[in-house]
Amino acid sequence: MKNWLKEKFALTDQGAKDLVVASRNTFFSYMWNMVPAMVLMFLLDWLVMGHGVNKWIYVGISVITVVIMYILMNIEYKSLYTATYKESENLRIDIARTMRELPLSYFSKHNVSDLAQTIMSDVTAIEHAMSHAVAKTIGFSFFFVVISVMLIAGNWQLGLAVVLPLVLCVISIFLSRNIQRKYNKKYYDVLRESSDNFQETIELQQEIQSLGMADEVNASMKKKIEDAEKIHIKGEGLSAVFMVVANAFLYLSLVVVIIVGVTLFSQNRISLLYVIGYLLAAIKVKEGAEAINMAVFELIYINSMVTRVKELRNTETQKGEDTDLKTFDIEVSHVGFSYDEDTRILSDVSFTAKQGEVTALVGRSGCGKTTMLRLMSRLYDYDSGSIKIDGKDIKEISTESLFKNVSIVFQDVVLFNASVKENIRMGRNDATDEEVLEAARLAGCEDFVSKLEMGYETKIGENGAALSGGERQRISIARAFLKDAPIIILDEIAASLDVGNEKKIQDSLKVLTRGKTVVIISHRLKSVEKVNKIVVLEGGRVEAEGKHSDLISKSKTYRSLVENAKLAEEFCY
Amino acid sequence: MFKLYRKLISYVPEKTYLLGLTVLLSVLSTLAQVGAMYYLYIFLNKLIFPDLPKTTGIFSFDSAAEVASVLVGLMFFGAICYTLSVMCSHSFAFRLETNMRKYGIDGLTRASHKFFDRNESGKIRKLIDDNAALTHSAVAHLIPDNTGAMLMPILIIALAFAISIRLGITMIIFTIIILIILKNMIGEKKFMEFYQNSLDKMSAETVEYVRGMQVVKIFNVDVISYKSLYEAIKTYGKYAYEYSMSCRRPYVLFQVISFGIIAFITPIVVLVPQFTRNPGSAAVELTMLLFLTGVIYVYIMKIMYISMFMFQAQTAVNKLETLYDEMQEDKVSYGTRTDFCPGDIRFEHVDFSYGDIPVLNDFSLDFKQGKTYALVGESGSGKSTIAKLISGFYPLNAGRILIGDTELSEYSRDTIVKNIAMVFQNPQLFKKSIYENVAMARKNATGEEVLKALELAGCNDILSKFPDREKTVIGTEGVYLSGGEKQRVAIARAILKDAPIVIFDEASASVDPESEHELQKAFANLMKGKTVIMIAHRLSSITNVDEIFVMDKGKVAERGTHKELMGRGGIYKGLQTMYREANDWRVSDEKLA
Repeated sequence: MKNWLKEKFALTDQGAKDLVVASRNTFFSYMWNMVPAMVLMFLLDWLVMGHGVNKWIYVGISVITVVIMYILMNIEYKSLYTATYKESENLRIDIARTMRELPLSYFSKHNVSDLAQTIMSDVTAIEHAMSHAVAKTIGFSFFFVVISVMLIAGNWQLGLAVVLPLVLCVISIFLSRNIQRKYNKKYYDVLRESSDNFQETIELQQEIQSLGMADEVNASMKKKIEDAEKIHIKGEGLSAVFMVVANAFLYLSLVVVIIVGVTLFSQNRISLLYVIGYLLAAIKVKEGAEAINMAVFELIYINSMVTRVKELRNTETQKGEDTDLKTFDIEVSHVGFSYDEDTRILSDVSFTAKQGEVTALVGRSGCGKTTMLRLMSRLYDYDSGSIKIDGKDIKEISTESLFKNVSIVFQDVVLFNASVKENIRMGRNDATDEEVLEAARLAGCEDFVSKLEMGYETKIGENGAALSGGERQRISIARAFLKDAPIIILDEIAASLDVGNEKKIQDSLKVLTRGKTVVIISHRLKSVEKVNKIVVLEGGRVEAEGKHSDLISKSKTYRSLVENAKLAEEFCY
Repeated sequence: MFKLYRKLISYVPEKTYLLGLTVLLSVLSTLAQVGAMYYLYIFLNKLIFPDLPKTTGIFSFDSAAEVASVLVGLMFFGAICYTLSVMCSHSFAFRLETNMRKYGIDGLTRASHKFFDRNESGKIRKLIDDNAALTHSAVAHLIPDNTGAMLMPILIIALAFAISIRLGITMIIFTIIILIILKNMIGEKKFMEFYQNSLDKMSAETVEYVRGMQVVKIFNVDVISYKSLYEAIKTYGKYAYEYSMSCRRPYVLFQVISFGIIAFITPIVVLVPQFTRNPGSAAVELTMLLFLTGVIYVYIMKIMYISMFMFQAQTAVNKLETLYDEMQEDKVSYGTRTDFCPGDIRFEHVDFSYGDIPVLNDFSLDFKQGKTYALVGESGSGKSTIAKLISGFYPLNAGRILIGDTELSEYSRDTIVKNIAMVFQNPQLFKKSIYENVAMARKNATGEEVLKALELAGCNDILSKFPDREKTVIGTEGVYLSGGEKQRVAIARAILKDAPIVIFDEASASVDPESEHELQKAFANLMKGKTVIMIAHRLSSITNVDEIFVMDKGKVAERGTHKELMGRGGIYKGLQTMYREANDWRVSDEKLA
């Protein structure tokens, strides 16, 4: 039961266990809720049939009924909501952890902010289903079985009259499940498409305005939304039909009970009490089943969300052993990689980046430079060949022990909405305040931080919105300083800087890179002219490697890149 | 509540009848169910008092079975009416959702540029998407349930009184007690707001977390150390749990009273002799009590959801309206003139600010027709703002911009679009063919003209990369254009447009060196015979322009030709020197230890 729940709703171990308990408590409540109906029967036995007992017995039974009912419901409520919120919290944290284990390639295949929000809202839906549907459905199912047996044992004709239509109802819901799922999926696809449209329109708004296309785009988007509405209505209509059919069976139960009951009663084969009793049972079970109907539809509805959470969980994570690395040459041999099946980025790349040297990767845009950096830092796992550090394949090294040794300054700086200090401290969590400030100073952050209202304690907004490109870049360099890792990877770090900023950052870098294994990409070939080794990538392979002076004669790509750069530099409008 | 209804209706004027239909069907369904309860009563009566005259009901029936079939017929009819009602409200809700999205689209396509400057694209989309969807889900159930929930208790109590006064009184007491209990639970707006806020916070933190995944991975920032998300999750969980626990007592009490009503009433019935003087009637009434409280229970449960739905619908609509208003803020009002006369561009005493941050103050400057200008200066100096203002997309706080003798704001939108070409730093392409992406710049351009523009913009080598050449669709599998290549396609657009005024924001440091020179040549082609204003980043390329304006803190600090400015030895010379130093800088200049 526990494992089934865990699998079925993508729950954690604890969550599934708690839910089993909650379901059991719900079952008890359901059972006890039939007791007042029995008290009524007992009363009717006196009122209608004249079989009275001592009045205080009725009173006693009533009090006991209410007290036990209160206790049971209290227990049920508490166990259900404790289970729900504990689980939703654990699920969210578990997902956040899982995400960290996933290779970045997973994120490149999905729209990032979408993914994040969907997953979290999926958990909200699962949370709601837990408190409102799962335990209820399970509890009711067991209750239904028990009550069916009891009803049939009491009088098999009337019992069947109550039970059979309900079974048919369940079967019809079961049958409709696949159709519903299909419709849900279709609807989601349409929704996603319209979402993409919105996104595109927002991103393209400069173009839309300056090309005067607002009306055109407006009309075409509206058309698409109208189409989506049609699909939606069709699907919803279909599920309404199933609702009606399922309900029809529920009402059928009443008809059958009344007809069978009256027939048997008129033939004097059962007492009046039986007719009323089974009628009561039929109505109560119907009411319960109606509520369960909603719950079951909710369970069907959350199916696609559970699937998404499961998909995330089952995505292969990056494994590897904790390894103590001692030397830091990076040996790349025959590496191949593609982001998706159709486009191969790297086919056969080999080179070595030596410790104490600076290795630069150059090539035309789209040649796979940035990809190569991502593979070397194991943000992505390569498809073929091998990348070794200290003679060990990086795929065999756990990401923790690898990342401990790598600092990356990304082209797109990522900052968090926290203080400047906290953003820098991410480089090394146990760094003292002095160390953080020292790193900040080395990275040239001091002059702009001192102008901020609260200095290093200033919150910098979503992705550092309050700062300029150069300032953000300097914070990310300060992070790298603080980390002081033996491998340093620099990705187009000067791509978005002003002239003044660029100079300062370049000065900081000199300090950072001393004695390390440094791999760099720079659009400005001149800046890497004097590095120890330049690797020229072309068509997914290494076209040539060596020093600037060798490559000028040896590599066609390098020569053309240098010439182009020179032309651009000397160009005047 | 009616205010909310009216507001919703105002967004779906074409389908108001559906709302009426929903209410009507819902009323019918309620009536049918109450009717069924009445026949249930008659049925019980006939069972317990078989010798009663046959005219007990409004109609007379021969047997209990016939009553039963009417009873079931009514119930089923009620259920069908309810389903139909829900279907109607769903189609109303679908249309509402559609219209809310359309409203969003209208807002988007007409929004001010400042709005996009201020808000991140993903956030805007999410706001529109989520809230439009929320209006649907809330309204779909709100309307039918609301109608039933208001009507049903009244009708049920009326029926109880019709059966007997004491049953009626019991039902009233029951309903009042339950409503009092529930009042402690629902309608807590403060909670709903807090809940929604912590949910929003959690989702925002998740986006931050995932966005920073590269950093999170590399710097080994664990979930727990990634405090904000962790705290947001914890806060949400804690609050939700606490709230659910605070509801425990009233909710359990509500359940116990509803389900255990018979047990509550039994002591009174057995101990007070008057109640059992007519045991048959007492039996019927007690049974009916069980049924009627059951019905009330179901509807009370619905009321609990209604306040949630109302809140959701209200918030969703409010959010969308606020967003829409924000979009419309700072909108430019266009004029009606369509006859464009080229001439000098003149800024006269222009004031302009972003929010509270003033960028230009009493700014005056002339750009002569047919000349080429370069704007340089540090970021935030106002150089981009000048370019943006000439595009006519931003309203001025004060002053005016003239082209020739006409104020920019007198021209219609189309006229401005036709006569001012802009090449942005990070141009985006539509998911259409390269050809269409260029052709959209001038609707009546011939195929030859489009190809010619592509050629002049140096795009031929881009086209030859793909087998479908200009018919290659952007954004499809395997089609990759670098930043420089995209900018060349954008220049082809501008060439095709052939506007007399060109504004060019040079990519600050071209992403791809191999296309930079191509780009420069392409732009040189575009410039011929135009008034050109360019925001320069590669300072080596502007030495020949007619005039350079050096911007500093919203003012023109220096102006003149390259030669003049270099001779002056001011800011410009400093920038050029720094540029050269940065450009000549080399990694590994010093020996690595």
